[in-house]
Amino acid sequence: MSDNATAAVGRRPLAALAEGRGKPAAIALLAAVAVLYPVAFPNQANVDSLANAAIYAALALGLNIVVGFTGLLDLGYAAFFAIGAYAYGILNSFQLHPAWGPFWVPLQHLGLVMPFPGNSGGTVVHFTLSFWIALPLAAVISAGCGMAFGAPTLRLRGDYLAIVTLGFGEIVPIVFRNWSSLTNGAAGLNGVGAPVLLGHSFGVNAIPYYYVAIALVAFLIFASLRLRDSRIGRAWMAIREDEIAAGAMGVNRTRFKLLAFATGAAFAGATGVVFIAKLQTATPDMFDFPVSVMILVMIVFGGIGSVWGAVAGAMILQLLQSWWLPDLSGLVDGLGRLLGSRWLASVDLTQSTELIFGIILVVMMLYRRQGLIPAHRPQAALSFEAQHAVVQRGFGELRLSGLAGDVAAGTPALQVRGVTVAFGGLKALDAVSIDVPSGGVVAVIGPNGSGKSTLFNVITGLVPANGGSIRFRGEEILGLHDHQILARGIARTFQNIRLFPTLTVLQNVLVGQHARLSTSLFGAVFRPPRTRREEQAALDWAREVIAIFGNRLAPRLGQAVGGLSYANRRRTEIARALASRPKLLLLDEPTAGMNPAETLELAEQIRGLKSLGLTVLLIEHKLDVVTQLADTVYVLDHGEIIAHGTPAEVRRNEDVLRAYLGRNAQAAAAGIAGGGDAT
Amino acid sequence: MSFSSLLLQQTINGMSLGAMYALLALGFTLIYGILELINFAHFNVFMMGSFLALWVLQGFGLTGQTVILTGLPLIGVLVAALIVTMFGTGVLGVVIERVTLRPLRGITGPAAMITTIGVSYVLFNIILLLTSAQTLNFPNPLPQLQWQVHGAIVTLPEVLIWLVAPLLMTGLWAFVQKSRLGKAMRATAQDPEAARMMGVEVDKVIMTAFFLGSALAGAGGMIFGLYYNFTSFLIGFTAGLRAFTAAVLGGIGNVPGAMVGGFAIGLIEAYSGQFIATEWSDVIIFSILVLVLVFRPAGLFGRLAPSKS
Repeated sequence: MSDNATAAVGRRPLAALAEGRGKPAAIALLAAVAVLYPVAFPNQANVDSLANAAIYAALALGLNIVVGFTGLLDLGYAAFFAIGAYAYGILNSFQLHPAWGPFWVPLQHLGLVMPFPGNSGGTVVHFTLSFWIALPLAAVISAGCGMAFGAPTLRLRGDYLAIVTLGFGEIVPIVFRNWSSLTNGAAGLNGVGAPVLLGHSFGVNAIPYYYVAIALVAFLIFASLRLRDSRIGRAWMAIREDEIAAGAMGVNRTRFKLLAFATGAAFAGATGVVFIAKLQTATPDMFDFPVSVMILVMIVFGGIGSVWGAVAGAMILQLLQSWWLPDLSGLVDGLGRLLGSRWLASVDLTQSTELIFGIILVVMMLYRRQGLIPAHRPQAALSFEAQHAVVQRGFGELRLSGLAGDVAAGTPALQVRGVTVAFGGLKALDAVSIDVPSGGVVAVIGPNGSGKSTLFNVITGLVPANGGSIRFRGEEILGLHDHQILARGIARTFQNIRLFPTLTVLQNVLVGQHARLSTSLFGAVFRPPRTRREEQAALDWAREVIAIFGNRLAPRLGQAVGGLSYANRRRTEIARALASRPKLLLLDEPTAGMNPAETLELAEQIRGLKSLGLTVLLIEHKLDVVTQLADTVYVLDHGEIIAHGTPAEVRRNEDVLRAYLGRNAQAAAAGIAGGGDAT
Repeated sequence: MSFSSLLLQQTINGMSLGAMYALLALGFTLIYGILELINFAHFNVFMMGSFLALWVLQGFGLTGQTVILTGLPLIGVLVAALIVTMFGTGVLGVVIERVTLRPLRGITGPAAMITTIGVSYVLFNIILLLTSAQTLNFPNPLPQLQWQVHGAIVTLPEVLIWLVAPLLMTGLWAFVQKSRLGKAMRATAQDPEAARMMGVEVDKVIMTAFFLGSALAGAGGMIFGLYYNFTSFLIGFTAGLRAFTAAVLGGIGNVPGAMVGGFAIGLIEAYSGQFIATEWSDVIIFSILVLVLVFRPAGLFGRLAPSKS
């Protein structure tokens, strides 16, 4: 643990206890209650209700990955539940019964099928896929369906995706309803086999199903928490917060959206197996639209993006339906009889479950959008002393190992040749060529609308070029995706700051390292030593990068960046870009909106980065900053380079003065030479 | 029946369904054009419309399937029912906007859309409870007139639909194109912030859009009842989803596109029911929805409002 934690213990010993020991204790207590409940209260109906609630909790956890973590609104989630359920139902029932033949004998030895006397004489195949094999198998099948469906649709914008998933959620039950030969149609599958463990069948006893369901939920909670705090979870949340920034920070959006979709589908598939094994029957209407909505209501109620919230939301709403509403109806009815009101005495609240769900959904959205257990808890503001501490500028003994270029200074890093970008009839860039030498600082200046940010966008793969070539360290990068360009070593900041607002400073900077880490889904969940080392190294590097800004960001690591000051957000964005270990850093107006003292401080820090060997391409309006930092200045006007040279040369250039100040260039020259904001 | 008369018959059916979907699609497209919001409440505003119409007709004593009024009184009752229904659903739409959506204005993310799902659920379940989940017979006060055209049959309700729906749609189109508020509406769809700065009362524009869209949905609901002779709490979801598909097909936010899309979906439903199988028509319609969104996200005719994302 770092000095931060020790400092926190010094100030608020109880707070540190809550973080350090309180949570595992609470979880252990919860687990003990869950395990002991059926022993203490072996009432079949109640245990059955709890098992159902746990099944919905598992579904909510899966949908939470898709909607909560990744921000993809999926309104057809029950389809994946259905696919998992039917996969098991068909492979462990009498639904399909092809004639027995030698082909089936090896499968019989594996326990997957059994010969069975058919209705019309002869021997037929009885499928007997084990429940325990079906669990992972259904997860894989559902995940596969999720990917097949997601691949063409996940690039749609949020609300379109919602509709497409809704359509998918409608199609799947219709297919199950109509494809009678496979699914027995609307009547549904019957006689689905119960799980068998050590020779004992679960039969219709609710208690073993309860234990299977809570074990599934426990595993899914574990997996969700591990994923959330991994490279994968950070990539998902980055996509949710700002897709463009996520791409620019090296996240392959399509891939990670698909991964989220498939993971959520896998959760639903496995849960479907438990659900069907418990009911021993499956009909298409168990998976219709209301089920998808109910799961959505559960995570909205619990807190979108919150793992414990999803579980709590599902358990509460499910038990509301099966326990509390009947009790409450009984109370109301009793009250009605007492008061002699026939209407009150006949109220049955269980019929209005869905009405209550609808009202909960609306009320939560209006008054408590973060849900019961919010995913993000605001961190306490800094103390007065911390806020007013003397500014330390960092760079004391910093080495930032690995930032220094591995090529000789002066060799070309970036060569832009004749790049043209047209939006409709407007040429935002017209045959622009610039050179950035390794280890140098090159500035691009120009009036508003001259194409500076478009230049950055085309270099980083955000807008396509209509012609030309961009070579980075000798390789063509024009036409690569934004995340590939980051992986090659070009990182950027944005003119309007594009951070991930609800993520903390530390999480933002960790997302910057996405392309440099390699943790897989398996690694994220099970954390083998390799993953632990990688995460630790990532944390160390993040702290090192943040230390560039002295004590500006360091005490605010755990704060959501949305609440930071403007200057600190700019600094976080630069730190995030640096965290990707770039060879070339693109800064789009880094000092915009900063006061003179902050501007000076940042200029010093950029010079520090340069002295470490980093190559910088800079868009800046403050000409004194440009003069201080840049070796070479390019001047853009109406999409064309009108001048380049040292700052001093450019400042004397006639064309530049005209572009900036119009006809009376000479007269105003003094003004520009005096520095200041040229916007 | 010969193939050509089958085709003609299904074209007639499809055009009637299509007129209803088009009325419903217009509401989606108006609201999406202005707020970029998929309004799931619209599904069940349509359903409420059919119940309002049912209650109004019952109020006039038209409860059964027999013709007890003819001539002008019948026309008068029908027109009155249409006006009351449209006004009622229009007000319902405005109330939904005012109570549940205005507080969420300016909040990014799916909050507003999730809210409309909640509202839709509430409306659905209110009617479910009121009707005890029963399907109700819709009064059929129209004389049983029908005409033979090349082996196909045209009924009186169909003729009425073809008269009323285009009239309403033309009215809406004229309003959006010609009136001062319509101009404000188009301006808001393009850029709400700029419109506000130019003095457009954006709140009023949004309320108008909700009123008009919901009123058209109400008319659609009444047409549904007269056409199918029943109504149920369930009708909103299926019809709503098909109408939404129509709006997407025509380019959501695009008013003429929604009308064309509505007729297209109606025809697809009728043809696929006849020539493929009724139970697969939803699969076909949703597959079209997915394909259109994937390959032509702007719809067949492009959208009126630029994306504000």
